[in-house]
Amino acid sequence: MKRIVVFLFFIAGSLWMAAYARQGDDSSEQNGETPLRISGTLLTDERLLFKKDNLWAWNENRLSLQLDKKITGNSKFYSEIWLRNIGLPSLAVSNDLFNKGIIDPYNLEIRQAYVQINGFLSENLDLSIGRQRIAWGTADKFNPTDNLNPLDLEDILDFGRRRGADAFNVNYYLNNDFSLQGVFIPFFQPANMPIGIFSNVLTPAMELPQGMVLKSYTGNLLMPAYNLRESAVAGGKLKGVVQGVDFSLSYVWGRDGLPLITRNTFVPVDTLGGVQINSQLSFARTHIIGADMATSIAGVGVWAEAAAFIPQKDVIMTNDLSAMFPLSPVPVTKDSTLLEKSRPYVKFIVGGDYHFQDGSYLNMQYLHGFIHERGSKNLNDYFFVRYEKKFFNDKLNIAPVGGGFMITDWNKIKDNYAFAYMPEISYQATENAEISLAAVIFDGKGEGLFSALKELDMFMFKLKYHF
Amino acid sequence: MKKVKIMMGSMWFAMSTLSLIAQDATTILKKVDDVLFSSKDMSARHKIILIDKSGKQEVREAVLLQKGTEKRLFRFTAPASQAGIAILSLPGDMMYLYMPAFGKERRIATSAKNQNFAGTDFSYDDMESKPYSSKYTPKLVNTNNDTYTLELVPVGSSEYSKVVVQVNKNTYCPSFSEFYDKGGNKVKEARYVFKKIGNYWNASEIEMRDLKKNHKTIMQVSDVKYDTGLSDEEFTVRKLKE
Repeated sequence: MKRIVVFLFFIAGSLWMAAYARQGDDSSEQNGETPLRISGTLLTDERLLFKKDNLWAWNENRLSLQLDKKITGNSKFYSEIWLRNIGLPSLAVSNDLFNKGIIDPYNLEIRQAYVQINGFLSENLDLSIGRQRIAWGTADKFNPTDNLNPLDLEDILDFGRRRGADAFNVNYYLNNDFSLQGVFIPFFQPANMPIGIFSNVLTPAMELPQGMVLKSYTGNLLMPAYNLRESAVAGGKLKGVVQGVDFSLSYVWGRDGLPLITRNTFVPVDTLGGVQINSQLSFARTHIIGADMATSIAGVGVWAEAAAFIPQKDVIMTNDLSAMFPLSPVPVTKDSTLLEKSRPYVKFIVGGDYHFQDGSYLNMQYLHGFIHERGSKNLNDYFFVRYEKKFFNDKLNIAPVGGGFMITDWNKIKDNYAFAYMPEISYQATENAEISLAAVIFDGKGEGLFSALKELDMFMFKLKYHF
Repeated sequence: MKKVKIMMGSMWFAMSTLSLIAQDATTILKKVDDVLFSSKDMSARHKIILIDKSGKQEVREAVLLQKGTEKRLFRFTAPASQAGIAILSLPGDMMYLYMPAFGKERRIATSAKNQNFAGTDFSYDDMESKPYSSKYTPKLVNTNNDTYTLELVPVGSSEYSKVVVQVNKNTYCPSFSEFYDKGGNKVKEARYVFKKIGNYWNASEIEMRDLKKNHKTIMQVSDVKYDTGLSDEEFTVRKLKE
């Protein structure tokens, strides 16, 4: 009910803004109004595993529509919608044949829909209300300071993708070099997890005491109450340029979009050690202090970005084994601290790039702490590199070197490393159509994201058409 | 003694003549700069036609805003794959790229200027609006009834070892240029068509041909407006993202 009220509030706010933008001028042409412009892309994304009998790993046909319209000379409406056929048919019983949604899975997403007014109340103030992507950070694809929008982890290979957030977004320009930004998001939205063959990649294996065998598992999410104190997210940012260096300082008060297990209740189901585990997961309230910079030194693009994550309170996981010991007069529990308020953890990334005269391009980054890693002991190190060269007036782009290398334990690198190798060729078949072929090879030892993907080496084909 | 006097007189005359010729090259180049770069600001539409060796064409369209010689905002309007992509150039070699798909601006390394601009045969160097005299040292190599031919040698780092430019004697507009690489090989040629708009001469069409790739780019400029009082606010990241 409360979400409906907030959604209606957004609609009303957007309509009011649209009316405000139009006031005082009846002539739409003189007002700067333009017709509704519809543009978009058609994407086909198909992937095939090299192993496992060439299992089809991904099937997506996506129609992305962008609608934009200038309401007046200083205001606009923008929307982005995805219409998709995604996944493979998952029929199990004959009744499924009567359900087109199972035979031909599809979905519709409103990625963005907002109204923006430039010069709202003051010529230096821009306001946008609605569902929008508020992208922070100077690094490439991995941005520790980009925390306002919920993570979209559906496709684990599309790093850095985020969904739009329903937000009030205000930018005030102090002058041409400095600006302040304030963002308010009334209700929290969690990340959505990987799907299909990637669905277990980010879920750590549960370690059970010897003798226990997991028979079933349920995870109950404790969603925050939809009120300002529990659900709201707010952020602020100061951005500027000094001596040719772009920088920003930011703060976000929000919730970790990936839940942490705060309670496991073990219930024996048989006499052979079989257990059922009922878990409780919650989204930790977190303060995030961020900083980033970008500049060019001797022709080399250089950037750095860091974010300190400070839990609002300690996050403790309780393992409740009371059911295993029915005769115990007191509950049998074991606590372990996942995150400590007094010990923030810092994720950071540094990188650089260079354009060579022969048309080639090199990009390198070092990342400490991947998107899903929390707690300073759990942050791993990743090195990313991409080298590509363009031919035939940028029509053909070949990236023979691309991917990442991770290290999970510097003391025993030989047994704790993994890599992802992702070469790619893309060709501009027409001025609006691009075809790309890529391979992804994973290998490594020990734990970690890339090791978890070891059996998922794949071939990728994408066709993208712009209109 | 008389012989010495004649010799010294000849030497003085030769040096004076050489001095006059050197001044002329600099003076000519200065006049070219005055013709091309004297407007305070400019806005225009660009139609960029890429033609490969088989004659196949691709067309791109863009709008350009420029103030002085160091502030420039270039925004593609067509085709669909490029529409909305914008590049902002600011003093101090600061450049920003905005791509609507990413929703934020990106600071670009100055090494991006090493490469051709947006798949065309123009390099970023060619696209710059800096006065020739700040980039090159000129030498007058030929004069005829209609044109001066100047050989320009780059002052700082450049992809070219020299550029040979033919300048119209009446208008001081370039009509033809030849670009030579570091090995002294001619790699590109450009032809210019100038039209007078108000008080200024404008390159309404530039054809740049890459001799190695056998590919050419024709840049047609239209809807040109000079000195409309563009403010510095038009050349900010805020405007880049609009």
